[in-house]
Amino acid sequence: MKPPVLDISNLSKSFRQRKAVDDLTFRVNEGEVYGFLGPNGAGKSTTIRLMLALIRPDAGDVNLFGKSVRRQRNRALRGVGALIEEADFYGNLSARTNLRMLARMEKLPGKRIEEVLEAVRLRDRGDDRVKSFSHGMKQRLGIAQALLSNPGLLVLDEPTTGLDPRGMKEVRLLIRDLAAQGMTIFLSSHLLHEVEQVCTHLAIINRGRLITQGNIADLIHQTNLFTTEIRATPLEKAERILKAEGFADGLQVADGVLKVRARSDQLPAITRSLVEQQVQVAAVIPRSSLEDYFLSLIE
Amino acid sequence: MTRLIYNELVKIFGKWRSYIGFAAIAILIPLILWGISKSGPAFERDVTRSLQGGFMVVGSVVNGFLATHWILNFLWIHIPFLITLVAGDVIAGEGAAGTLRIYLTRPVSRGTVLTAKLSATFIYTALLILFFALMSLGLGSLWLGTGDLVVFHQGVLVLPKQVAWVRFLLAFGFATGMMLVVAALCFMFSAMVSNAIGPIIGAMAVIIIGLAISTIPIDWFAAIKPYIFTTYFDIWQQVFFDPIPWGKIGHGALVLGVYGMGFVLISYLIFLRKDILS
Repeated sequence: MKPPVLDISNLSKSFRQRKAVDDLTFRVNEGEVYGFLGPNGAGKSTTIRLMLALIRPDAGDVNLFGKSVRRQRNRALRGVGALIEEADFYGNLSARTNLRMLARMEKLPGKRIEEVLEAVRLRDRGDDRVKSFSHGMKQRLGIAQALLSNPGLLVLDEPTTGLDPRGMKEVRLLIRDLAAQGMTIFLSSHLLHEVEQVCTHLAIINRGRLITQGNIADLIHQTNLFTTEIRATPLEKAERILKAEGFADGLQVADGVLKVRARSDQLPAITRSLVEQQVQVAAVIPRSSLEDYFLSLIE
Repeated sequence: MTRLIYNELVKIFGKWRSYIGFAAIAILIPLILWGISKSGPAFERDVTRSLQGGFMVVGSVVNGFLATHWILNFLWIHIPFLITLVAGDVIAGEGAAGTLRIYLTRPVSRGTVLTAKLSATFIYTALLILFFALMSLGLGSLWLGTGDLVVFHQGVLVLPKQVAWVRFLLAFGFATGMMLVVAALCFMFSAMVSNAIGPIIGAMAVIIIGLAISTIPIDWFAAIKPYIFTTYFDIWQQVFFDPIPWGKIGHGALVLGVYGMGFVLISYLIFLRKDILS
């Protein structure tokens, strides 16, 4: 049986008196797109730095592909590509030269540089100095360097930080493409909708401790925090009916849409009730509310 | 390892600050040589003033050798400063820029990365001294000619032309060794901090304080002087003595070597355990 791609067990790290990571344990299996979610300062970046041997743990261990990062650092990191926060390069050198230096470290063939530049759509800018790149281009180049060794695990730490909406979209599309190709991806983010859009699995941490983990769909289904949008006429009557049916908690009207907290198995009864009481129902749209779930966990 | 050293050299020579040392030498030395050639008799008179009571000087003692011997005094402060500009940036500059974390997430050990950085720093240092030698001795010889070298040390010593060549070769050899120790000192500071200015200031402060202790004639300083590496920064001067005090030079080289290895060892201990937080 194959070992998990990433296996973190009882990992702890303190900076002076402050516990940045506190007894963290979770696993990422092959093919998963694993979201690592937490508010700013929750310990996400510290965990990633521990995973990649940039900092030393006080306790616990990280295994990558069954190899301990503490004891077999080089072998463990062989299958990993990483982009940690902002992509910093030697700005006075070209994108191609930057990648060439990294490829040289791992004896990778020159054609791989062209492949990854193509993958992030930077091939025609490969000879330009990195300092002339926009932030979005630098992030894409950051992903290119992470892909250079054709890794089994791609670790991305806040890859869309500082990007404009277009840049964010480009990076997310790229991550989706890579996930579709079967790459295992570990995506750290504090942006809920980003994780919701891209990931299959999720771990939430706060103050260095793991709050929950699992399949995203399962996590949301386990909660009673499903939000459903209802477009109906007249809206006021629909609101009164739902309040009478016991859905007053969390019920709100915004922009001509009625938002109600209800589990998916309650939706047929709600629809039937509205229709029977002469309300014209145009649409019933279930929306998962990861944000509500997330906030309920960290508050 | 060769590939990694090549990478480090690409990085060093890709930065404009790495050319400051070469540019400074390329401007300063021709300027000095030009000044010597222009001031001619006045410079000659100044140089031979101490000889006028007991010697009759026939011909000129001012030549490329004398100019080079004088220019070598830049080894006390100026050349170390030019070296620290690069040595201080090798680790700390990358830490500050954030490029170190991309480099250190590769499956290459930190020890290997540090060895490559240290080797590249030493190569840069050696190249700078080689350029210093070419500009001072090479250009000086072409511009002002060659001849006997007059050395003023506890009297006057005249080294014949053929002997002077060998002495200069030795002087630049020891100068390279000395400057490698300076590079190692700055490299150590570079491993400690995450900004490129700190190591430069730190290394220069150590050198200036050390030289002050080595040269100021105070009894208490005299007691600690033998244990300070800057005391032995004069070994390049001693190769121009006659006979060459090999025992003293050997002792100086040994102390410098021990200090150099100490600086390198501390660099490794710090870097291997360093948390990369930037």
